[in-house]
Amino acid sequence: MNSVFWQQMRAEKLKARHKKAILVPLGFLGFQILWAVWQVSSLKPQELPDGYMMFLYQLPPMNAIMLPLMLSVIASKICDMEVKGDTLKILFTLQKRTGFFDCKYLTCIKYLLVFVAGQGIMLPALGTIYHFGSLKISLYLLYLLVTFTVSAVILCIQQFLSLISENQLLPLGIGLAGCFLGLFSMFFPAPAARLILWGYYSVFSCVGMNWDSEINKILGYYEIPFPTVSFLMFLAAGALIYLICRTVIQKKEV
Amino acid sequence: MGPVIITESLTKNYKSKVVVNHLDLRVPGGSIYGFLGPNGAGKSTTLKMLLGLVKPTAGSMTILGKEVNSKNRLGILAATGSLIESPAYYGHLSGKENLQIICTLKNLPESEIPRVLHIVRMKEQQNKKVSQYSLGMKQRLGLAAALLGNPKILLLDEPTNGLDPAGIQEMRELICSLPKAFGITVLISSHLLSEIDQMATHVGIINQGELIFQDSLSVLHEHSRSRLFLRTSDDQTAFRYLKHSGLPAEWRNGALTLRTSEDNRVMQAVSLLVNSGIGILRLEEHQMSLEDIFLHLTGKQVSL
Repeated sequence: MNSVFWQQMRAEKLKARHKKAILVPLGFLGFQILWAVWQVSSLKPQELPDGYMMFLYQLPPMNAIMLPLMLSVIASKICDMEVKGDTLKILFTLQKRTGFFDCKYLTCIKYLLVFVAGQGIMLPALGTIYHFGSLKISLYLLYLLVTFTVSAVILCIQQFLSLISENQLLPLGIGLAGCFLGLFSMFFPAPAARLILWGYYSVFSCVGMNWDSEINKILGYYEIPFPTVSFLMFLAAGALIYLICRTVIQKKEV
Repeated sequence: MGPVIITESLTKNYKSKVVVNHLDLRVPGGSIYGFLGPNGAGKSTTLKMLLGLVKPTAGSMTILGKEVNSKNRLGILAATGSLIESPAYYGHLSGKENLQIICTLKNLPESEIPRVLHIVRMKEQQNKKVSQYSLGMKQRLGLAAALLGNPKILLLDEPTNGLDPAGIQEMRELICSLPKAFGITVLISSHLLSEIDQMATHVGIINQGELIFQDSLSVLHEHSRSRLFLRTSDDQTAFRYLKHSGLPAEWRNGALTLRTSEDNRVMQAVSLLVNSGIGILRLEEHQMSLEDIFLHLTGKQVSL
């Protein structure tokens, strides 16, 4: 990383002053903590040892509902100032357009990391307080990796939309639509669900649930082998999406 | 001093529409170059091409002796400052915080900030949020940002647009002081001849993407000097008498005009006509407007 990169990162930090963007991931995290505590409080004592598996099963759909909105708000908060202030015409005479897009993205990623790290702390903290039993580290790390990766790809699209939209209602609307699509995609046939980016939180879930529909009862949770190849393909598609968004901004006339 | 900005056949097309057509600009060093033209003539597009914000379709640009390409663009632009169209700012930050961002990106010490704030007379308002600034204050902040790092060239696109008369006067004084005080070459665009007249030393006139005039302001004044319109009891005969006596008479649009406003020549013309028995009915001085100059230079009417 050269000094120009750090100058640009510092400029992004200066721009974000007084924006209180940190409250966005903290707010969503706070809501998830409240939801998690409510979930635990409704568990019977004999269900507590399965607590970790239950959360690793329930959090991906919860993320699909909440994170697209959170990511659109973060991107909007960080990018809207450039659109409102018409600043690109001065910034693009001072820094490379690709550098601008990269540094903006890394700034948004910082807030995503705060959320993912918060979730990473929330799970073992809940487990310790409520005596969940042992946490399988590989499942826990895979869950965090999937949450971060899928969010990072969505964030790239949201940042792109926020930078090209005069009005932030469009990116925020798409973020909101993503919440619903992500949720409904879980009920789509598998090939159709693969087309919905916002639904990938659940696609890469490593925990399944045995449900007895006759007695309406959860019989237990089980591990699903991680779809490594699909995940790598998703990463490649994410990188391609990033490059396309970055190139459009690079070519954009201001 | 030689030209600090040179463009060779600079062209910009949007699909089939030619916005800037084979533009050959020559901006002399140390000058205030007024880039004049009606709205939509291609002024902003030209400035944006110079700044790399818009990609030229064809042609080349040389700034401070270096031909600009995508690799050296930012390096060359480091010696320039710009204020394009409306001011660029972060409304949620104070004026000083806005300038800190520019300082960071230009890799300048923050000690530069008080200097430029002093130049644009904004020290008092530096800690106020920019969203609470008036348009004039935002423009001055934009100018302060452009002045950070002692640029050699300043590109200003209609910097007085939307300002009240006091703001226009203040901005004008600021711009005029820059070449002498700091040795900055200023390229300023406007659609108002009067504005350029009060600031510029050199002028380029663009119309429908084509440069139709480029020279010093004094040469432009030659084109825009006033004329006298004459109405007499017999205009045709009066025109013949004046021509015969070697006076600069013209027959324009069915009216008799004198291409001079010198007192002696006017007196000579009036005496001649009166002594020849031709009655003088009207004698009106007309200053050429920008429309007239365009008409004179292009032979086409233009609406400003």
